Amino acid sequence: MSRTSHTLSAGGENARPAGTVQGPQRRLRLAAYPSLLAMPALLLLIAAMGYPLLTVTLRSFSDPAWGLQNYVWFFSTPVNVTVLWRTFSIAAWVTIVCVIAAYPYAYLMTAVGPRLRLVLILCVLVPFWVSGVVRTLAWVILLQDSGIINSVIRLLGFDGVKLIRTQTGVVIGMAQVLLPFMILPLYSVMRGIDLRLVQAARSLGARQARAFLQIYLPLSLPGVFAGAIIVFILSLGFYITPALLGGPRSTMLSTLVQSQVLSLLNWGRGGAMGVVLLVATFVLLALAAPLMRQRHKQASRS
Amino acid sequence: MGSRSRLAGFVGAAALALLAAAAHAQNAPPAGTVVDGSLKGKTLTFVSYGGIYQDGQVAALKEFVDKSGVKLLNDGPTEIAKLQAQVESGNVTWDVVDTDDFPPFVHCGKLFQKLDLTKLDISHIPAGQVGECSVPAMNYGMVLMYKNDKYKDNPPKDWKDFFDTAKFPGTRAIDGSGSPIGGLIEQAILADGGKVDAMTPADIDKGIAKIKAIGPDTIFWKTGAESQQLAESGEADMIIMWTGRAMTAVKNGAAYTPVWKDWLVVMDQLTIPVGAKDTDASYALINAYLGKKSQEILTEQTSYSPINNEAQPKVDASVAAFLTNTPDHAKLGYQQNIKFWVANFATASDKWTALMAGN
Repeated sequence: MSRTSHTLSAGGENARPAGTVQGPQRRLRLAAYPSLLAMPALLLLIAAMGYPLLTVTLRSFSDPAWGLQNYVWFFSTPVNVTVLWRTFSIAAWVTIVCVIAAYPYAYLMTAVGPRLRLVLILCVLVPFWVSGVVRTLAWVILLQDSGIINSVIRLLGFDGVKLIRTQTGVVIGMAQVLLPFMILPLYSVMRGIDLRLVQAARSLGARQARAFLQIYLPLSLPGVFAGAIIVFILSLGFYITPALLGGPRSTMLSTLVQSQVLSLLNWGRGGAMGVVLLVATFVLLALAAPLMRQRHKQASRS
Repeated sequence: MGSRSRLAGFVGAAALALLAAAAHAQNAPPAGTVVDGSLKGKTLTFVSYGGIYQDGQVAALKEFVDKSGVKLLNDGPTEIAKLQAQVESGNVTWDVVDTDDFPPFVHCGKLFQKLDLTKLDISHIPAGQVGECSVPAMNYGMVLMYKNDKYKDNPPKDWKDFFDTAKFPGTRAIDGSGSPIGGLIEQAILADGGKVDAMTPADIDKGIAKIKAIGPDTIFWKTGAESQQLAESGEADMIIMWTGRAMTAVKNGAAYTPVWKDWLVVMDQLTIPVGAKDTDASYALINAYLGKKSQEILTEQTSYSPINNEAQPKVDASVAAFLTNTPDHAKLGYQQNIKFWVANFATASDKWTALMAGN
């Protein structure tokens, strides 16, 4: 890093004597450069996200006629409200399970030697490369009533537990699919934490638990929040996993959108469902943001 | 058993009437006719549901492609929303579309062309299956499959038993893959003591309530593969299955037995979208598809029943056991009231969706 910045500044110095007129021009072009770099991503986002989102929103107000009919329909149909609530509650459970599972794992990744760390990273990434559908089907085999988990439980002399076609099954499956999105941001934050701070706390007489709670945990919270937001938002849109692992009582909003648009051709209603989900997510994040910012400040202060 | 021996008898007597039939003088060329080189340089896009089904359809159309010189492109799976987008934007790239039961009736004239029956030979299609905007693509059924070792000597015999959880305890699995199953709702109404000859939308609620009353453990499978997996792993005690999937599951060792009484008649439909580029070429494809030989190939490759009543496919006993067009199966079939379900499609769908979402 330091070497590149050195050569860059050297180049700048070389350019100056060549002509005083060129100086400000060149600086201007360089100033414009960062935004130009963002252009491809920005164009892609506008084409692949902005435009369709605009169309969906417009249609939710205009299909089949202008007005609020689709939103009135959404909130006056009990099943929609139940499923919307359920979608958020499943997403919250998945996030909690991911935090609990990922935190010690990410910590372990920072604590072990390079070779073991590579193994741990591979354990996270290899499932990441396998398609979500395949992993979900693997969960079907594990969770079903005649599946491996239940066979083992029965072999030990207990009654089988109902896992598949329940919300528990859906949460387990989704958490496994989404775990890398929690582990990776957590790991990148934890890697940057100076462990000497914990040692310092210990040397000043703090017990291990206290040193962790007062020093390490606050410093790692930005990673927890970053991961939690990614996992929560991705969970809201899940379709395949709840469809295969869940039953009627774990249907999520995406399934209802699918049936409105694909089998009933009610683009307006489908759009309204999408907009409601989006707005509800924004509201929730807006409510959570001040809390997170405060924690973040606290962490950086210490 | 009877069907097996009957089909075995067919084995020697396959396929020749096709060419002889060409001599007949009528408006439409006989089903299966292909004029040599008639579509040279043209391209047709055929849309269906993929898997062995579409492979079988392509095999059934091979002669048509080879003789007419048309270039056949395949697309899929069929999604009515996609078709709607094509029709609305005026850029229809699909020429012949295979759909499930209801869409051609629900969207007749809007998304699907009203068919000109002088361009098709429908004389060999089983009675009552030609719609204003569609001809059948194949026949199949939904049968009740029960687990042998669960019910032993006292198995369920009809849909009443399926809904009777007191006499026949056990988990049920129902087709939750998409549109409401009109036939099943009708059977639920009947099991509830109601009548279906003059159904009203209020009856839909009664039928759905009866299905819901089976209990919270009911499984609604989302894909044919899932239903097959449920049978092969023995997850459910009674499963409503598509006949093709039921056959494959039994072949793979699932110890289940079909109940043929009032099996639900279902079909796929062939349609031509509004705004298709070359309607005459689309008609030529469908007419070739309806031919005896094409239908025999289709059944031999997919195990779905042919929709040409002269077709005599050569299939082995395990396939024949699940064909719906054998005489002793055909007479037991239950035909849903398509007219009612099409007229009440939106209401029924909303209620069905709510049932699927546990409400």
